[in-house]
Amino acid sequence: MSEAIISIDQVSFKYPGGDDWVLQDSSLSVNKGEFLAIIGGNGSGKSTLCKTINGLIPHYYTGDFNGSVHVDGIDMYSSAVAVLSQKVGYVYQDFENQLMRPTVLEDVAFAPLNFGDPDFQQHAEWALEILGLTHLKDKSIWQLSGGQKHLTAIAGVLALNPDILIIDEPVAQLDPHHAKEIYQKLKVLQQHHGKTIIVIEHHTEFIADFCTDVTLIDQGKVLWKHDVKTGLQKVDDLLERQIFPPQVTQAALKIDHSNKSELPITLKEAVTYYEGLSITNPTSVEHKSDQHERLHEIVHLENVSHYAKSLRNETVTILNDIHLSIKEKERIALVGTNGAGKSTLMKCLAGIIKPSKGKGRISEYNLKNSSLEKLSQDVAYVFQNPEEMFIEDSIYKDLSFFAHSRNMEMEPFFQQLITAFRMENFIHNDGRLLSGGQQRRSSLAIGLAIQPSLLMLDEPTASLDVKSRQEMIRTLNQIDEQVKSVLIATHDMQLVAEWATRVIVMDQGKILFDGTPHELFAQEFICQQAGLIPPQMVQLSNQLNIHPVALSISEFVERIERIDSYGVS
Amino acid sequence: MELVNRFKKTYNLEWVKLELLKTAFGKKDSYMGRKDPRLVMVWYFIVSLLPWFTFNQTILIGLLVYTIVTSLVSRVSPLIIGLLTIGVISEIIYIVALVYLFGGEWAAFSSLITFTMKITIMSIASIAAFASMDPEKLSDALLSFGVPAQFSFAVSYGYRMLPILLDEYQQIILSFRLRGKAPTNGGVLKWRTIYYYSKIVVKAFYPMMLNTAKKTRTTVEALEVKGFSYSLHDKEAKKQKLSHLKLSNQDYTFLVMSIGILLAIYFLGKYYPI
Repeated sequence: MSEAIISIDQVSFKYPGGDDWVLQDSSLSVNKGEFLAIIGGNGSGKSTLCKTINGLIPHYYTGDFNGSVHVDGIDMYSSAVAVLSQKVGYVYQDFENQLMRPTVLEDVAFAPLNFGDPDFQQHAEWALEILGLTHLKDKSIWQLSGGQKHLTAIAGVLALNPDILIIDEPVAQLDPHHAKEIYQKLKVLQQHHGKTIIVIEHHTEFIADFCTDVTLIDQGKVLWKHDVKTGLQKVDDLLERQIFPPQVTQAALKIDHSNKSELPITLKEAVTYYEGLSITNPTSVEHKSDQHERLHEIVHLENVSHYAKSLRNETVTILNDIHLSIKEKERIALVGTNGAGKSTLMKCLAGIIKPSKGKGRISEYNLKNSSLEKLSQDVAYVFQNPEEMFIEDSIYKDLSFFAHSRNMEMEPFFQQLITAFRMENFIHNDGRLLSGGQQRRSSLAIGLAIQPSLLMLDEPTASLDVKSRQEMIRTLNQIDEQVKSVLIATHDMQLVAEWATRVIVMDQGKILFDGTPHELFAQEFICQQAGLIPPQMVQLSNQLNIHPVALSISEFVERIERIDSYGVS
Repeated sequence: MELVNRFKKTYNLEWVKLELLKTAFGKKDSYMGRKDPRLVMVWYFIVSLLPWFTFNQTILIGLLVYTIVTSLVSRVSPLIIGLLTIGVISEIIYIVALVYLFGGEWAAFSSLITFTMKITIMSIASIAAFASMDPEKLSDALLSFGVPAQFSFAVSYGYRMLPILLDEYQQIILSFRLRGKAPTNGGVLKWRTIYYYSKIVVKAFYPMMLNTAKKTRTTVEALEVKGFSYSLHDKEAKKQKLSHLKLSNQDYTFLVMSIGILLAIYFLGKYYPI
């Protein structure tokens, strides 16, 4: 049954003009029907390795290439990319740029059409059918949501019916709900259609739930390949390269260091693993601080509604009768599915959109007749895509743009920001040339440079790898002194659990819930209705009946009574 | 003031964006949109070239009315019509002023008007033909006329990128507005405010171009993988691509009608010249 469909043998590769070997003597063999996860730190050569499988290396990138790659018996070096791409489909991390035609069906039919397939239409429709996209086939690409675009990109390569699908970071740009959906679809392709699936993935929780094998790559070398269960237990190997095992595994490791037996890697395993352990429920009940009431109110909205026209001239309600009060010293997370109205609410607060109905006040400004230019002195809005914040040719110029246009002298404050956000090394570079994590930190600093009362961030942790993401959460925990209140729209429930003091859940233009993270995660039906997937620790707490739920690993570990390990040899 | 506010609420940047998108993607089932794209292109070339072979104003007026009616039938966006009207009206004012200033007579005015009419016929014909045509059809028609595949692909890819560029552009303008400082005192006729915004509109182009250039790297690779360069040399692929282009009955009706109307206009001009 297990025949190798891909065999990479002693491959080394150097990009044209590059000085370093990106791959060094890498060998890897993948069996037919495997669901393989490739993990490794940034710049370890994961994407480069995958590009040797579909022939882009060495045919498109003609660098120095040694070794051999065979796919399904075909030698890659002596075949053309056209032959290879019908064997191997590749979905990019920035999948939006992989979509080239105006509508879904046309895009999916593009590849078969290029290869002169007389049944291109049927093959495209078959691919759409499998991924459940048939109802979208006549839609324009730009009308789709992020998850739908990603599925379309997958369908586009699936239409050639390749044996192997490679997907570069399938969930980096998606909310957890859609991420899970993508993985479920991939699992179907693997189990029912006999495809071999390879993903490059940082999120070990998805690997544990869906993949069969995992391989670790470091500095251009394949270190090992194991089945998922064995691989994810090599915690030291992973942590050394800043890859974090699933939360349940990390917690198990913290509770009992000496326990060398099997650690749980999925939620299901964790429930059995912890069942025997006794749980302490904290005696001290959380109490809200009373001084909260006396704090200054920054935002006050009453009966705010907003309507917009769709392409077909229909009026759509985006915000429906919103009441909201934001005081000083709040860390608010705004959550909900795409299209719930989060962005529109933030745009209203920034003055970008004037709501159709209702009244409100932001600092000393009246919402109705204050221009965007006035409001923006007190409210900073950091876009989801940091590149859209870079309007100058260096980060420093971007940072000082606001002060410069007002002839303000803020040099000491900028220096403080530069140090706090660790931007010394790239402060004079163009923002577009930075890494994802650096871009995010810079855009956050640009927002803070306005010295706003309210700082609003749109998805500050989206499409960051796990390491940069944790760094970002740490940075967010530091900024309380520079700003009165922070509002973050996010899909990242771990960010909600570890950072927020207040969560606002939106659904179909309404506020569904407004309270603390503890309160939210204890009410599973709200999470379900708003399409939220709580962090693994919260799910585990709920299944083990721990109340109030543990929001982080350390909180969970405190609740589990330590097992006395002295007697164990 | 109330009127100004309502005007501002309905006609803003968002409206412009929506109208442009509608023009590009919306009207697949309009009168001209249903025709075979090759036929529509031939129609466009004939109608826009005809005026240059005549000075007969009856024929020109006839052609003008004909193209206007066709564009109305194709339900062209009011934004596009508005822009064109502004262009034509300012052109006429400019001609009148020019003729008046240099003491010209009716003859000078008349010949300039003739010229304007020819240009206008061309632009209205192009609106009627292309504003309602699906970008894919346009690109396929070009391909079938033997235009290189790279070019015809660029046309349809441009349409695909249009909404993304618009969004990006809007966001970058916002960035400028959120962090910049609009003049508090607008000056005479608010010239300072106008100057401030005009500057932003131009400056916002650079970040947009740079951001887009960065994104195309993936696109180029993906094109290779999806066999685009393979299809350039493959006759079978081209045949498949164009297999959906077929002349139907309604195309023949359109052909006969167009010839009839054009002949009628021509004879009208011959016997009743202005």
